[in-house]
Amino acid sequence: MVRLMVLWCPTLSREGSRGEEPRRFAEVLDAAVELAPFARPVRLGVLAIPSKGPSRFFGGEAVFAEHLQGVVGPLLGGAGRVCVGAAEGLFAAVLAARAAVLVAPGATGSFLAPWSIATLRDPDLAAACQRLGLHTLGRFAGLEEARVLERFGLDAVRRHRVARGVDGELPGLRDYAALRRLDAVRHRDEPSEVQRGFFGERGGADVRAAAAVQRLEQRLGHGAVTVARLGGGRTPDDRAALVPWGSADAVIEGRDHVAPWPGRLPSPSPASIPSRPLAIALLDEHGHRVTVSSTGLLSAVPARLEFEAGRPRVVAAHCGPWPMAERWWGVSRRRAHLQVLCDDGLAVLLRAERSRWWLSGIYD
Amino acid sequence: MFASRPELPASAVALATAIRPTAPASSRLLPVVEPLSSLLPDGALRRGGTVVVTGSPGWGATSLGLALLTAASTSGHWCAAVGLDDPGVVAMAELGVDLRRVVFVPRPRGAWAAATAELFEGVDVVLARPPARVAHTAARRLLARARDRAAVLVVLAEHRDDWPVPSEIALEVTEAAWHANGRLVSRRAVVRAVGRGITGRPRYVSLWLPGAQGAVAVAC
Repeated sequence: MVRLMVLWCPTLSREGSRGEEPRRFAEVLDAAVELAPFARPVRLGVLAIPSKGPSRFFGGEAVFAEHLQGVVGPLLGGAGRVCVGAAEGLFAAVLAARAAVLVAPGATGSFLAPWSIATLRDPDLAAACQRLGLHTLGRFAGLEEARVLERFGLDAVRRHRVARGVDGELPGLRDYAALRRLDAVRHRDEPSEVQRGFFGERGGADVRAAAAVQRLEQRLGHGAVTVARLGGGRTPDDRAALVPWGSADAVIEGRDHVAPWPGRLPSPSPASIPSRPLAIALLDEHGHRVTVSSTGLLSAVPARLEFEAGRPRVVAAHCGPWPMAERWWGVSRRRAHLQVLCDDGLAVLLRAERSRWWLSGIYD
Repeated sequence: MFASRPELPASAVALATAIRPTAPASSRLLPVVEPLSSLLPDGALRRGGTVVVTGSPGWGATSLGLALLTAASTSGHWCAAVGLDDPGVVAMAELGVDLRRVVFVPRPRGAWAAATAELFEGVDVVLARPPARVAHTAARRLLARARDRAAVLVVLAEHRDDWPVPSEIALEVTEAAWHANGRLVSRRAVVRAVGRGITGRPRYVSLWLPGAQGAVAVAC
């Protein structure tokens, strides 16, 4: 994990009635970027800097921290406190800033141990752990990961990794809405890294497109305009998602996208993916429901396809099924996909899951 | 030594005006992928025009509409899809669409025409699927806006009558048949092109829509 220095301005963490905090925090941010170009905001009042480079440049982490406080302090006019802390990973670094300590390299785990379980930002998990007598991160981190998964689920495992100091990115730690506002205040309306053109520059066309999208968002509301995100997965609906324009996680092509996924459904992919699950009935020639056995075989040859609305269709051919048992080590998901070709030329992708058939895509 | 010397421009501004090229005809055109070029009069989408894409459900009209965005997006033009609440993003990637240049307005909440008109301000190709038959006035207004902004409107509709104004080009999927071999491999589709922009008899092109790897190809 990267060692981070976090600067926390308690007075700027909450937006007051006059709404001047984002503007003043933007000033703080600009000053920090002058000192260390990789300073990035985390949420309102909190910014993080990879500590290694600047520390070497200024001659030690403590010197750099002092320097940072010296530059930012006057900006707050003496009224505001500036806390600086450093540790491995964002979560530990934020806590270090709260305590205003520079955690020694390698001591992050022992630094985290005495903090309350409530710092993991999950009230349900915290309440459950309190009842079990696990009041601190250290006690929670002492649990076995498999036990945490069994008892609390996948999300808690991420928090468990954070508590152990293995992972620094606690869900909810970064406040993307505040960061977008901050960008607007700093007059940098670049929607995200992804929307850039060749070599990262923004041409005239990109600026015009961004302006048109922003006007449309004002009309229809935030989230009405989306961009596509491709990720890893085996099925079309796993592999792609529409995320709001300008959202920070709009990574169009991650590494997962090109990585091999054994058992991935063959291309071509359906041109139409229903946004909501649509239950359908797949029947054999006697009108009985077709099911998929645990060994991945169909119980009968499909003959008829019935949608919730619209006329039933006659099945001309089918391909598959492709059974998938995913995440058997955790929250397991078993499903099987089937391509069905109807006699009128319609081809659909069906999914058998939780003993029902669902429409997964239309090859339109 | 030299018989004559060319006049030097008085200033840099004068120089800039002197050497600025006149707009080439190609700038009024947006490229399409090669298999589709034989369907269109100029072999490309003409700015300010409309293309209406129709076909029975499941015959590939959506694929055809999305395929029209392919070359435009990869050559750096912004594209938008309005009213497609269920776009097959992976299928678009397989068609070759550069998804970094495509914005989606999946649910315009009854304001698809207004959203489309707004997008013409900054987007070069707008693919729109109207929720119902379009009113005559709304269609006229959109056409005027597209012409004014030199953008291309691609309308996806189930029937030709859903778009009330005569369009430059109307593409219709008239036949479609899947080839399967243990899986759905490819679909052979016959596309008919008619419209004001096409003189003479309608053009028919047989396409793999999509082909085995998801891209469009000419079927012989």
